[in-house]
Amino acid sequence: MSSAQARPRPVWPARALARGESVLSNAFGGAANPFHHLGALAIYCLYIALVTGIYLFVFYSTNLEGAWRSVEAITHEQWIIGGVMRSLHRYSSDAAVLLLALHMLRELVRLRHTGARWFSWLTGMPLIWIVLIFGISGYWMVWDQLAAWVATASARLLDWLPIFSDPMGSSFVSNKTVSGRLFTLIGFIHLVGLPIILVLGIWFHLLRVRYPRIHPTRKLMLGSLAGLLVLSLVVPVTSHAPADLEAVPGVLAIDWFYLAVFPLQSLSSPGTIWLAGTGGTLLLAALPWILPRRRQPVAEVHLPDCTGCGFCAEDCPYGAIDMVPRTDGRNFELEARVNASLCVSCGICTGSCPSSSPFRQRTPLTTGIEMPHFTMDDFRNELDRARDSELTGDRILVFGCDHGVDVEKAEIGTAHSMVLPCVGLLPPPGIDYALRNSGYAGVAVAGCADCDCHHRLGERWTQERIERERQPGLRKRVPRERLFTFWAKPGQEKDLSLRLEAFSAGLDKASAPEAPRLAIRRTGT
Amino acid sequence: MKALALSGQGLTWAVLAALVGLFGQGPSFTPYEPGQALIKLSMAHLPERLEPCRQLSEAEREALPPTRRVEEVCGRERAPTRFELRLDGELLVAETVEPAGLSSGGRSYYLEYLPVDPGRYTVTVRLADTPRTTGFDLEREMNLDLNAGESALIEIGDDGVSLGGVETEESS
Ligand code: HEM
Ligand code: SF4
Ligand code: SF4
Repeated sequence: MSSAQARPRPVWPARALARGESVLSNAFGGAANPFHHLGALAIYCLYIALVTGIYLFVFYSTNLEGAWRSVEAITHEQWIIGGVMRSLHRYSSDAAVLLLALHMLRELVRLRHTGARWFSWLTGMPLIWIVLIFGISGYWMVWDQLAAWVATASARLLDWLPIFSDPMGSSFVSNKTVSGRLFTLIGFIHLVGLPIILVLGIWFHLLRVRYPRIHPTRKLMLGSLAGLLVLSLVVPVTSHAPADLEAVPGVLAIDWFYLAVFPLQSLSSPGTIWLAGTGGTLLLAALPWILPRRRQPVAEVHLPDCTGCGFCAEDCPYGAIDMVPRTDGRNFELEARVNASLCVSCGICTGSCPSSSPFRQRTPLTTGIEMPHFTMDDFRNELDRARDSELTGDRILVFGCDHGVDVEKAEIGTAHSMVLPCVGLLPPPGIDYALRNSGYAGVAVAGCADCDCHHRLGERWTQERIERERQPGLRKRVPRERLFTFWAKPGQEKDLSLRLEAFSAGLDKASAPEAPRLAIRRTGT
Repeated sequence: MKALALSGQGLTWAVLAALVGLFGQGPSFTPYEPGQALIKLSMAHLPERLEPCRQLSEAEREALPPTRRVEEVCGRERAPTRFELRLDGELLVAETVEPAGLSSGGRSYYLEYLPVDPGRYTVTVRLADTPRTTGFDLEREMNLDLNAGESALIEIGDDGVSLGGVETEESS
């Protein structure tokens, strides 16, 4: 048995990425795979940069005359602590850029930039610019030879724009013309302006993401911090000679994460840089509309089955459901309403709705909220067809999803599969029904690994519902030994087959010699 | 298995640290060829008006409202600044810069960094800032002795040309 419709499977780049990531899942465990936490890890690195930055600021002189000396003192005269703080400040900021690039690429490869998710994608764009400008302004603060070159080159870049008639670059032609006020202004931008803008930018970026994961797991925090600490001790950051605008800049150790733009400018021209920068940004920003996916179906509310409990609104990963005053005169206070422009078509709300139960005696089967392309009626019909085939007794039913491990490819003779848009769509009574009414010997749920769910929360809610920590919980009468969960990525089908084989074999032992169907009946309460 | 997983984690963080270490402080970049010197040519020069100011006649003054009875009127537009820089007679820069401002009434600005080999040079700056189309209004010749790694600043201001902030005698 498989679901009625041909479903979109992840495209090949996403499958290739998943294969690469499974190596990390083996090392870290699915839930702590660093690639599942790239955005959160970037925030964590920025947080390290903030804490170390506050430390540096305490000892820093915000003026042209004192800046270089004060940074030297922090680096060399505070035994180890100052040098480590400075190195950590640099390296965590660099790591943030690296993680940010990976975060963006990963979302793109998984096609999570289109549809209702365009907002997160688009609001990510300014974050790239903010982070880069943040870093570049930081390089001024050292006021060494590199800083002088960065200042001159940034002025050249800005002077290309028709903003100032008096070129900013003429401030940096000699040590006499350089403006202490401009230097202090840049310091202010780095220390106060950009931190505030960045926090607001990240808040805006996550505005449409419910329960965003902004903290990586402890294992990831400790591991990445340890890596950066060791680097800081082994390769401490140092300054160049003090800035001298009358000398020709010599050999400069460039931070390519932030400063790559300036060598590129040296080799081309400010005009080329602006063209490439704005052109590239516009192209990336337009991707949700250039590379769109088919318009996804939107969840629909069926008022006669909605009691206004609010579970669906609570669970929707994208805040697409509002609870609004009742419009049909029934004796409930609220009803669910879907905001079509926010809905990503995951169906998680169907799994949340207490009315989503195949045990209900009505045809066609309806529920409070469901997907037009995968209704509860479809769901029950498939289970009933399977029962009528009389083949279920010695088989297991594997629920899979469009984005995780491909359950239809699991090579095990004793399994049926049903592919859902997201395992989060599976209402707990559906598991009960598959065992009691369809007579399956066991049920397996195989979705994306924790924190890797394409729709972000499908795995978490399913797990919590099974463990009865979340409404609607899986009934106590469902024998847990007949239920198996497996969280994995596309490409891990072999692993799935092996685990299903073992699960299936265990069931045989548990139920032999009676027919599994009867055995299930007996364990039911 | 546990040991393998732990080493996998260690390796992951080592790769992160290695990438950050490799590109966070190098590979180095040298903006100018080693051993070169630099001439910085910076101009902020107020050119002449396209039309000279004109005294108003008594009759014209009478025609103006009493609060705006000025003595003379001036067109706002200024001439473009045309200039050239020669090193030992060899032309290095020849530019014409429009005055800034919406009505072209401001200064002409120019800034360029010119890498040169170290050595002794005779620098000639010639400049036209009037509506003329041929010839120059100002010419300065200066002697320059540049060592490797040194830079000289040639500034064209409102009142003339200066070298490294030090006035040198004009040759014409
Ligand atoms: C400072 C930079 C950035 C930070 C700190 C950051 C952080 C985050 C975080 C924490 C999430 C939520 C992850 C989750 O809970 O599932 C997220 C989601 C997202 N980010 Fe970023 N991000 C940044 C930049 C970007 C950029 C540059 C892009 C791409 C242009 C981008 C694209 C996305 C997308 C499309 C999502 C939504 C995923 C979804 O709909 O589930 N982000 N980001
Ligand atoms: S389908 Fe998903 S995104 Fe749409 S309303 Fe339901 S839970 Fe929210
Ligand atoms: S979960 Fe179902 S009953 Fe509850 S508000 Fe949503 S649609 Fe209505």
